[in-house]
Amino acid sequence: MMNQSLIELFSEKAVAVGAEVISCTSIAEAATFVAGKVDGPLLVPTFPSGCRSGLETVLRDAGLDVLNAFSSETAGRADGGLTGTNFAIADTGSLVLESTAEDIRLATTLPPKQFALLDPAKIVADGLAAVDPMRRLHQRDARNYIAYITGPSRTADIERVLTIGVHGPKELFILLVPGFSSDFLEM
Amino acid sequence: MNKQRSKDYRKQIDQALATPKLQDALHKFGDAFLVSREKAFGGLDFEQLRGRIAEMKTGVREHHGELMEQFIANAEAAGAIVYQARDAADANRYIADLARRKKATLGVKSKSMVSEEIHLNKALEKAGTRALETDLGEWIVQLAGQRPSHMVMPAIHMFKEEVAELFSKETGRQEPAEIEHLVEVARRQLRESYFQAEIGITGANVAIAETGGIALVTNEGNARLASTLPKVHVALIGIEKLVPTLEDAARVVQILPKNATGQLLTSYVTWIRGAVPCGDEEKELHFVLLDNGRSSLAESTQCRDALNCIRCGACANVCPVYQTVGGHVFGHIYIGAIGIILTAFYHGLDNAAELVKACIGCRSCVSVCPANIDLEEIILHLRETVGDEEGIGAGKALVFRKVMQNRKLFHTMIKAASMLQKPVTRGERTIRHLPLFFSPLTEWRTLPAIADTALRDAFKAKAQQVEKPRYRVALFGGCANDFLYPELGLDLIEVMNALDVEVFYPQEQNCCGIPAIYSGEKETAVELAKQNIDAMLAGHPDYVLTTCPTCAMALKHNFVEHLKDNPAWAKKAEKLSSITVDAASFVLNQLDGAGIFADLAEKEKITYHDSCHLKRGVGVWQEPRRLIKESGHDLVEMDHADRCCGFGGSYSLTSHPDISRKILADKVHDIEASGATCVAMDCPGCMMQIRGGLEKAEVPVRAQHTIELLAAALRNKPTEK
Ligand code: SF4
Repeated sequence: MMNQSLIELFSEKAVAVGAEVISCTSIAEAATFVAGKVDGPLLVPTFPSGCRSGLETVLRDAGLDVLNAFSSETAGRADGGLTGTNFAIADTGSLVLESTAEDIRLATTLPPKQFALLDPAKIVADGLAAVDPMRRLHQRDARNYIAYITGPSRTADIERVLTIGVHGPKELFILLVPGFSSDFLEM
Repeated sequence: MNKQRSKDYRKQIDQALATPKLQDALHKFGDAFLVSREKAFGGLDFEQLRGRIAEMKTGVREHHGELMEQFIANAEAAGAIVYQARDAADANRYIADLARRKKATLGVKSKSMVSEEIHLNKALEKAGTRALETDLGEWIVQLAGQRPSHMVMPAIHMFKEEVAELFSKETGRQEPAEIEHLVEVARRQLRESYFQAEIGITGANVAIAETGGIALVTNEGNARLASTLPKVHVALIGIEKLVPTLEDAARVVQILPKNATGQLLTSYVTWIRGAVPCGDEEKELHFVLLDNGRSSLAESTQCRDALNCIRCGACANVCPVYQTVGGHVFGHIYIGAIGIILTAFYHGLDNAAELVKACIGCRSCVSVCPANIDLEEIILHLRETVGDEEGIGAGKALVFRKVMQNRKLFHTMIKAASMLQKPVTRGERTIRHLPLFFSPLTEWRTLPAIADTALRDAFKAKAQQVEKPRYRVALFGGCANDFLYPELGLDLIEVMNALDVEVFYPQEQNCCGIPAIYSGEKETAVELAKQNIDAMLAGHPDYVLTTCPTCAMALKHNFVEHLKDNPAWAKKAEKLSSITVDAASFVLNQLDGAGIFADLAEKEKITYHDSCHLKRGVGVWQEPRRLIKESGHDLVEMDHADRCCGFGGSYSLTSHPDISRKILADKVHDIEASGATCVAMDCPGCMMQIRGGLEKAEVPVRAQHTIELLAAALRNKPTEK
C-alpha cells in the first residue's frame, strides 16, 4: 500500500474509534493545537524525537504548563499527557508506544487527555506487519512494556452502551507531523 | 441421576424464564453482536483465520512442554518470577502468601476469568488483602455479591437502575441511573485505589514463548493502571494461553476483539515482558501459570480441542439457550458452550452435568467459534460421560437398549402406540390436548399423531414408473418421516420419479441413533449405526437420500466417527457416508433438476427456516432456497432464519420443554413477522415443532418440507399426451 493510502486508512480507522486526527505541518502548529485543548499541567516525558526537536520549548512557547519530571501523584492531577509514537497500524487505527519508561505510562494512562505526535511515515498496514518492528523492539530491549492504543478508553459494561473514558484517557488526539521521526524503534 | 440437582436446576431455569427483561436484553445483544461482528470481519476470510488459530493452538498443545520451557526461560531472563500452580488451591496459596509478605491491604484487579475460576478474591480476603475489581462490569458484579454472567461482559444481566442503586450505596449519594454518569462515578471511585494498592492483579490473553512476555487485550485502561502503579504485578495465566511467536500472538489479537465485541481492536493491547521500572525501583512481576485441569483436558482426545479457546465469549452470544436463561443458569463460572466443557474439567463433572444436558445441540456456537472448536461434539461426548457416570435413568436406558436396538420390537411398539393414541387424536392428524400429566406437552404446541400407515408400509403400495432410471436411490426415512409424516416420503418418490430416479426403501433400517447420542447412550448409537449401514448398503444404491438433516448428519458423520477404530466397519461407514445426500441438494447438485419445477408452483409468499443440522451440520442452506424460488414462489427472508426452532428431539419433549417453548415462541414471532403464508424447511423435526407452535398460537401460516412444495408444484404440471 502506498504511504498516502496508509495514512488515509489509519486516519479513517482512528476517527472511527473516537480519536481525533490532526495534520500539522510543524511541531509549533501541533503545540498551538495542544494549547487550545489543555487546561492545566501537561505531562511531557522525555523521549528522543521530542528532545531532538526541542519540543519542550516549543510547547512552553505555546503557553503550556509543561511537566517533564513528575511522580505518579503529580501525574494524577495533570489535564493532559503528550508523547511521541513509535509507529502506527493502519487497519485498526492504532498507535504503538514503547512505554517501558514509567513516565511514558503515567502520561498516557492517568490524564483525561492524551496527545500523540506521529510521523506519518511510520504507519504499517496491519497487526501482522507490526510484528517486525515489535520483534526488533524485543530484541533491542531486555524488558518491555509496549502499548497498542486504539482510540480513547471505553466500556460497554452497562447495558452494552458504548461509553468513553472509563479508567484511561477520555480523549485521544493524534497529531500527524511529517519529518518528526522516521525510526520505528524510537519514540 | 442426581434428582435433587436436576430439581434445583429446573428451579433456576424457571426463575430465569420469569425475567423477560433479561431475555429481551440478551436477544437484542445477540442480534447486535452478529451485525457488528460481520462488519468487523469485513473483507477478511473468517474460515481461513480460524483455521490458522486452530492449527497454531493444536501445535501448541502438541509441543506444550518445550514451549512452556522456552516461555519460562525468557520470562525469567527478563526478571519475572514464574510459579507453576498445579491447581486452584496452589495458585491461591502462592498469591495469598505473596500478599501477606508484602503486607498488602489492597489488591487492584483487572478482569481475569482465571481468577474467577480459582476464587482468588476469597483467598486474598482470608489473607487480609481486599481484592478490588476495577473492570466496570466486574466491579458491578462484585458490589452486587454475584458472579459474572458472561465471560466478556460480566454484568450484562444487570440494568442501569440496579447499577445506580449499587453505586449509590458506595458513594452514599443518590446516583442517577444515567449510564454516562455511572461510568464517571466508577472512574472517580476507583481511581485512588490504584495508588493505594500494593498489588496489581491481571490475567493474560496470550503468553508468548518467543519473548517470555504476555499480552493483555482490554478496553477500559484499568489493566494498564493496575500493571503500572502498584509495586507488584501478578499475572494469572492459564497454561493454554501459550503461543509460540509474536506472529501467533498477533493473529490471536487480530481475531479476538472482532469475535468478542465486534471491535476491530480493543482500545488497549498491552505487551509486558519482564520487570519494568516502577517508581525508583523495579516492578516485582509474578507470572502464575495455572494448570487446574488443563493437562487432563489435553489428555482427553475427545475434548482437548477446547483448549484452543481464546475466550471471546461468542459461543454464548449466539446461543439460543443462553439468550433464554442467561449465563448464571447456562454456566457455572465459565459460561455458554465452552463453559460447559471447562466446567467439567476445571470444576468437576458434577457441576457440569446439568449444563451438559441443557445444550440444545443447534451448533450455532460452532459456526462462530474463532478457534474452530466443535463444541457440540465435545458436549455430546460429555453427555455420554455423564450418562456413564450417573446412568441416564433406568427407564430411558431400557427404551434405548432393549427396545430401540431391537428394530422389530421398536416398530411394533410404535404401531401399538398409534392404536393407543386414538382417543386423544379423535381421528385427526395432530394432537391438541393430552390427558393428565402429559398435558403440559400440548399446552404450547400441538403434536403430530402417529400415522395409521407408516412410510415403510405405504411405500410398498406406491407404484413407481421410471422406465430407464438414471439412479436407484435408497431412502433413509428416519423415525419422523417414517411414522409421523409418511406423506413426505411419498412426495419424495414423486419428485424423484419425475427426475427419472427410482427409490427403494430398505425395510431393515432403524432409527439413526442421534436421540440415543443426545441422551448420552453411546452403546445404542453404535449398534444402530451398524444395523443401518448394513440395511442401507444391502441393495447397492447409487445414493442414499434423507429428508431429515439430523439423520443425514448421522449417516454422513456420526457413523464414521463411531466405527472409525473398527476396521471391519470403518470402510462400510465411509461408503455410506460418501453416498448420503439430503434430498434438496440431491435434486440440485446431482440431478441438476431445478428446471423441471420452473414456475410450476402456485406462487406463494414463502419464508425459509434453516434447520440447525442442515445448515451447520451438513452445510446446506442455498439449495432449498433456490429450488423454492425456481419453482415460482416468492421467497422472503425472516429475521434469524437460521436460529434454532427449539425442537432438539427429546430436549423439547422431556428434558427442557420450558426452554424449548420460549425458543419456539421466538421462531413463531419471526415467521409471522415475515408476512409469508408458508414457512418451508427441510427437517421433519422442525416441522413438528414449528407446525405445532403455529397451530397452537393460531398463526395462519403453513409449515412444509421443501420436498412437499416441490411435489405440489409437480402436480400443477399440465399432463402431456
Ligand atoms: S469456545 Fe470459541 S466461541 Fe467460545 S469463547 Fe472459546 S473461542 Fe470463543
